[in-house]
Amino acid sequence: MARKISILQAAAAITKGLGVTLREMLSPAVTEEYPDAPPSFEARYRGRHILRRDENGLEKCVACFLCAAACPVQCIYIEAAENTAEQRFSGSERYAKVYNIDYSRCIFCGYCVEACPTDAIVHGHGFELANYHTSALVMRKEDLLEPWPKQADVALPELERKVS
Amino acid sequence: MSKLVTLTIDGKQIQVPAGTLVINAAKQAGIEIPSFCYYDGLSLQGACRMCLVEVERVPKLMTACTLPVAEGMVVRTNTPQVIEARKAMLEFLLTNHPLDCPVCDKGGECELQDMAFRYGAGEGRFVEFKYHVPEKQWSPVVYYDAPRCILCYRCVRICDEGLGVNALGVVNRGVRSEIAPNRGDHLECDECGMCIDICPVGALTSGTYRYQTRPWEMSHVGTICTFCADGCKTTLGVRNGIIIRANNRDRSGINDEFLCIKGRFAFDFVHHPERLTRPLIRTLSGFREASWAEAIELVAERFEQARQQGGRIGLIGSTRTTNEENYFLQKLLRQGLGSNHIDHRQSGDLVSLLMATRGREGALATTADLYHASGILILGADLSQQHPLLAFQIRANYRHHRARVYVVTRGPVREDQIAARSLRVAPGQELEALESLRTELQGLPDLVVLYGDSIKGSAVARLVQWCDSLAIAVRYVCLLDDANSRGALDMGLVPDWLPGYRSLDQMNLQPGLCWEEMLESEELEVLWVVGANPLRRRHLKRRPWLVVQELFLTETAQQADVVLPAASAYEKRGTFTSVCGELQQLQPAAQVPGAKTDLEIASLIALQLGLELGPADPDELLGEIHRTVDGYNVDLPLVAAGAAVPTGPYPDVAAVAVRVDKIRSREDTLFTAGSLGQRSQVLTSVREAPGSLYRG
Ligand code: SF4
Ligand code: SF4
Ligand code: SF4
Ligand code: SF4
Ligand code: SF4
Ligand code: FES
Repeated sequence: MARKISILQAAAAITKGLGVTLREMLSPAVTEEYPDAPPSFEARYRGRHILRRDENGLEKCVACFLCAAACPVQCIYIEAAENTAEQRFSGSERYAKVYNIDYSRCIFCGYCVEACPTDAIVHGHGFELANYHTSALVMRKEDLLEPWPKQADVALPELERKVS
Repeated sequence: MSKLVTLTIDGKQIQVPAGTLVINAAKQAGIEIPSFCYYDGLSLQGACRMCLVEVERVPKLMTACTLPVAEGMVVRTNTPQVIEARKAMLEFLLTNHPLDCPVCDKGGECELQDMAFRYGAGEGRFVEFKYHVPEKQWSPVVYYDAPRCILCYRCVRICDEGLGVNALGVVNRGVRSEIAPNRGDHLECDECGMCIDICPVGALTSGTYRYQTRPWEMSHVGTICTFCADGCKTTLGVRNGIIIRANNRDRSGINDEFLCIKGRFAFDFVHHPERLTRPLIRTLSGFREASWAEAIELVAERFEQARQQGGRIGLIGSTRTTNEENYFLQKLLRQGLGSNHIDHRQSGDLVSLLMATRGREGALATTADLYHASGILILGADLSQQHPLLAFQIRANYRHHRARVYVVTRGPVREDQIAARSLRVAPGQELEALESLRTELQGLPDLVVLYGDSIKGSAVARLVQWCDSLAIAVRYVCLLDDANSRGALDMGLVPDWLPGYRSLDQMNLQPGLCWEEMLESEELEVLWVVGANPLRRRHLKRRPWLVVQELFLTETAQQADVVLPAASAYEKRGTFTSVCGELQQLQPAAQVPGAKTDLEIASLIALQLGLELGPADPDELLGEIHRTVDGYNVDLPLVAAGAAVPTGPYPDVAAVAVRVDKIRSREDTLFTAGSLGQRSQVLTSVREAPGSLYRG
């Protein structure tokens, strides 16, 4: 009697286990084929920064230095300057003439993004930052700026969150 | 001392002198009462209503900034009613305020930000559109952004009461009220920038600091202004070795927070593109750049020849080099090269005053005395133009203590506004005119006399004699031109006395040539010019071999055989002595690669010559000056801590024949300052430049 029960129990357990296997076989695969295929990200993944532009293509950054002040490792360096009628870079009076982020120091904490009053700096999803030279890890404004006109292959994360 | 009054603030019982305002009494008790329009030293305004407090048995809230204390008064600053009132006031101030802090130059040091953070409601309830007017530029240095203005009238009052210029006023009514400049769309004023500094918000901003950086991004270096002789402390904001702004908001010097246009804006000469950064050696076809080693070797070789020929070398020094540099230079020339041909352009006759008041304690006035003395006598000088700080002090004295001011000048000056009597006389005739002031001056407890370059030689002795006959306490200020004119005299950068006004006999020297004689002399082989520009309006008679240490290729440097690039006062350590005799420390702020300080250059030359002159380090030299120079036996740790320490007395003043005709002021206005002023973009761009003296 006891033996009969245990056989049934074993069969049920195997069926249950195979059921999980069967179910997972039918659900979509989560394996990342990186580097053969681009990886997928959570929307809020904090990767290499992007300096955004407004709807007119002007830089959103107004060189208020708040990101640099918020940064716990002081890896943001800014030089501010005034827009002129002939040369207008940002939508406001002032713009960042120089904007560097030193990725050999950045810890991707996102404080700079939190601090920015104009939503100019955001985290992109770029993560392939490895380099043989630390000096190449200092990225300039030109490296970080969102290309203009907008390009389809530059994936911008969802930015609909509300900064309180 | 006035009577003490006892009152209670927030349960704390304190005693303060009668007449103290509640806002200041609270400060003494360690309680902050927020305020905007109240400003120490200026008249009361009661405009902002930020300082409301509750006073027992008074039905309404009171403004603490206009309310004098009373015996038994009970004040509360933290009741719900007061907190609510503060919130409401801030909400009103912010109704039309743009809150564009991210692009506002005041951000990070804005009183409105601080107040809103500490006492504000955190959330606005107004949804209406804000009233907006565009920003205006009033002058190269002053911008006004009306929406940010909270109408505290601080700027209006500092310009009127502090500067005596009265260039600002208020126009329109209600929400359209704004500050307006005296010429409709622009300013014509001293361009001192005091209004910018005193503005609690970002309504008045500086044209030079505009959008450059943030206050926390700079390092702040406290040093001494390199322009006039008044010795203002200026705190330079420096980023990447470049000076970005100057102010003295921490009120840490003899000048409190005062700075004129030169101290506040004219530092830009330091980073002028024409600064010399490599030594230059003359060739047949002009200058060629050379290394320091080569240039120093060449200079030392010529100096050595001149020394062997019996000291046929002359030195024309500067009034903007430090005491340490001047001391070392005269030592190098006198001890090392055996010459006493050493001079600089003298702008006032101090030594005659020291001779005439020999043996008296406290015959020289300090800057503070100008604020406390009950009488001020100005002889032959346009103080507001030539000595802005001294004029500011005297105006403050008049405002706060009703000082009696007497003016004897050749033309109208701004001090006439506050003068009890003004006399117009030809230069040199001042003493004759004094007699008519005798009875008035005799009635004063004490008097400070300031005299310009028209009173020199025997006239100084006569002045002292005349003042003695008044039988009141009199102190004197001999007005001098440049930041370290006084130090150059004290350090013996002259052919007639040694450091500390000691007799030349102590070194067995004969009086040497003065600077004008050096330019004409047949006997000099080498002429060494440190930081001076004697060939601006003159010519060399017979060309000696000329070495020039300079910041720029000035008229003199252009004729040199070797030019050595020197550092400005904002790039070095050392001390200056102000016109009133305060010894103050300089701190290096900027870096201009390639330039060396005059002390470094002189010590390299001494080294190359193999001379043993002792240490050439600024601090050690100051120690030596402290030990050996009369008048400089002062508290050095205090100097090192950044204080202004009065020098003196000078017990051993040598009896010298004063070369009266060589003493002449350059008569700088607010907008001129020799070769440095010409290289300041700010000084040359303001509409008022170059300005003239004696225009009231
Ligand atoms: S993510 Fe953090 S560490 Fe990196 S730049 Fe922003 S604030 Fe600095
Ligand atoms: S004045 Fe102060 S509160 Fe107003 S925008 Fe400027 S920093 Fe902000
Ligand atoms: S710059 Fe000076 S003189 Fe001119 S308006 Fe402002 S406070 Fe007055
Ligand atoms: S400009 Fe500045 S100092 Fe003048 S009233 Fe407005 S807020 Fe006050
Ligand atoms: S008053 Fe004289 S020392 Fe003061 S800031 Fe002006 S030039 Fe400089
Ligand atoms: S500080 Fe009292 S009313 Fe402005």
